[in-house]
Amino acid sequence: MNDLSRPGDIDPPYLYPDYRSTRLRAPREALVELPKGALDFPAARVPAGFVHGRDSDLTLQGASAPLGEKMVLSGRLLDESARPVRRSLVEIWQANAAGRYDHPGDTHDAPLDPNFTGIGRVLTDDDGGYRFVTIKPGAYPWQNHAFAWRPQHIHFSMLGNAPIQRLVTQMYFPGDPLLAIDPVYNSVPDEKARARMIASLALETGIEGIALGYRFDIVLAGAHATPRER
Amino acid sequence: MTVERTPSQTVGPFFHEALRWKDGARASFGEAGERVILVGRLIDGAGEPVADALVETWQLAPSGSAPETAASATKPAGFARVETARDGTFRIETLMPGGSAPHLEVAIQARGLLKALRTRAYLAPEPAVRADPGLAALAGSPRLLTLVAKREDGGLFRWDVRLQGDGETVFFAA
Repeated sequence: MNDLSRPGDIDPPYLYPDYRSTRLRAPREALVELPKGALDFPAARVPAGFVHGRDSDLTLQGASAPLGEKMVLSGRLLDESARPVRRSLVEIWQANAAGRYDHPGDTHDAPLDPNFTGIGRVLTDDDGGYRFVTIKPGAYPWQNHAFAWRPQHIHFSMLGNAPIQRLVTQMYFPGDPLLAIDPVYNSVPDEKARARMIASLALETGIEGIALGYRFDIVLAGAHATPRER
Repeated sequence: MTVERTPSQTVGPFFHEALRWKDGARASFGEAGERVILVGRLIDGAGEPVADALVETWQLAPSGSAPETAASATKPAGFARVETARDGTFRIETLMPGGSAPHLEVAIQARGLLKALRTRAYLAPEPAVRADPGLAALAGSPRLLTLVAKREDGGLFRWDVRLQGDGETVFFAA
C-alpha cells in the first residue's frame, strides 16, 4: 500500500483517505524503481511562438476588466540546485473572483465572469522568471465532506525541461483560514513543504495603485538533465 | 547550493481548457518514421473509467536520438498530451520510438491523484521488453506485461491502464 507517508517526504502519498477521490485511484502495489536518471533526459524545447504576450495577462481576455482584486503573480522556476529553469512552459488556471471555473464541469452556484477565463500561460525567461497579471480567485465549496471549501488557490502546471521535472501543483494565499481544513493542501506531510505552496505578499512587485503583488517561486525535481548522449 | 522541491498537488477536475493544446494528441518530429497509434482506457479500483485524466508521453525520435523541436514547429517535439474521454479512453498518434525496446514515458494526472503516476507503454514484443536493462527490477515478474502494449493491425497498439486492484499497472517511483 502507498498510504504511509514517511517523514521528510515532499510529495503527498497517493492514498490520502481524507481526500476521497484518492481511495479508488491510488495504486496499491509498491512503486517500481527505474534506474537513477531514467527520466532525467532533456525534453524538446517549447517553441517561442507557442506563447503570446497576452497569454500571461488574464485581465485582458475580455471586452473589459474582470471582477476581483487585481494581482501581479511573479516568481522564479528553479531546479534543486537552484539553477534557473529557462524557456520553460508554465500554465495556470483558476476560479474567478466568485469561486467559479469557466469549465462545463463546474456546477457551483456562483456567477461566471464574461471577462475572465482564468487561463494563462507563459515561458520563463533566461533567469527562470515568470510573471502573470490576474485576479485573486474566490474560495468555493466542493463535495469531499460536509462543509468542505477549497481555500483560494491557483493551479500551476510546469512542463519542465526534462520529463522528471514535470510538476502540477497549486498555489495558495498567506493567512487563508481554509488551509487548515483542506485535505488537498494537508496531504503534503511535511509542514515546511506545505508552506512552500503558499505565495508571499510582495507589494512592490505589484502595480502601484492598481494591482497587489504576490511572489511564488517553484522548485522542480532533477538537476542533471545532460546534453544529448545518444 | 540546493533548494527544496515544491510539492505536487492534484490537477483537479477543471484543467481541460487550460491544458488542452492544439493538435496535442499527435507527437511531432523533425524526421520521418513509422506511424503508430496508442489507444487505451484508464480504469479505477472499482473498474470504472477514469473520465477526467490527462495522459502525457515523452519518447525518443524514430532515429533513436532525443527529439529536437524544428524552427518551424508549433509545439515541442516528441511530446503528446491528451485528456481521457467520458469512457476513460485516450488516443495518441506518434512515430515509433528508436531503441531496442521502444517505449513511451507516460505521466498520468487526474482528480484524486495527488501526484502524477509514472509508467511506460512499450511498443515492442514481450521478449524485447524483458531484455530492457531499465526494467531489471521487474525481472521474472508477470506484472511487466502491464507495460506491454498489444499490437493490432494498421500500426495500432492497445494499452489499458489499471490504477488500482487486479491487474494493476506497474507505476514507477520518480
